[in-house]
Amino acid sequence: MTIANPKLTRRLQLSGLLVGLGLAVEALTMAWSHPTAFLAFLLVGGTLVALGVLLYLYAIVSA
Amino acid sequence: MPYLTESFVAAVLVTIALVALVALRPSLVEARGGRVLAFLALCVLPLLMSAIGVSAQVEHSKSTAFCLSCHVMEPYGRSLHVDDSSYVPAQHFQNNRVPRGEACFTCHTHYTLFGDFKAKLRGLRHVYVNYLGTIPQKIELYEPYNNRECLHCHAGARSFEENDVHKEARAELAKNATSCLECHDTIHNVRGLAGVKMWKEGKP
Repeated sequence: MTIANPKLTRRLQLSGLLVGLGLAVEALTMAWSHPTAFLAFLLVGGTLVALGVLLYLYAIVSA
Repeated sequence: MPYLTESFVAAVLVTIALVALVALRPSLVEARGGRVLAFLALCVLPLLMSAIGVSAQVEHSKSTAFCLSCHVMEPYGRSLHVDDSSYVPAQHFQNNRVPRGEACFTCHTHYTLFGDFKAKLRGLRHVYVNYLGTIPQKIELYEPYNNRECLHCHAGARSFEENDVHKEARAELAKNATSCLECHDTIHNVRGLAGVKMWKEGKP
């Protein structure tokens, strides 16, 4: 199922992918009590989530 | 897994399900309800989850396992298992005078208004030094150990207050003029652990 604006569709899907991956990384790091897990949470999970959210916001303002 | 961590993982799974719904069916955003759902799934919930996650990670960083996961801290972890009650940290750890799961944090935080916050900032610095800095040959406290941390638990305790030596020095101890460590002077003593007998939990 797609919407009239294919660009918006692609951006929403990419945003969803980034946010989903970021959240999955954040959840996985909870299983490990180690400074590496803390850094992975912030640098990998946090960055993916931030990129996904920014892409979503860009997608809705540019649609 | 602590309660906060379990709740976080459950909430993340729900958020991922909502994210997948929006990403797989982008046509949902054509309706007003779908747009609200997309805003929640792709903006509000991920930011909220990340903020809760930071809090959960900071809680993790209080754990003894977290502190001892750095190679340089291993001898300090061993010192908690010395079979000699004159070792102050070992005596506290083995007799549950500090929660074993948060043993390092319990004694090394500052019992002041921003003590926990400062301890966590120092922890962040330690993470940085562990990965990118130069680990010092000798690990030292930033400042002399403050009696406040000992008195946080011991002040008012019968065993402490009724001790004759403590009674005499009570005012000086409260003012930090005399350090508790002047008498209780066997602390981690990591350089002398080689031939020391170790306590094995559950074995008499």
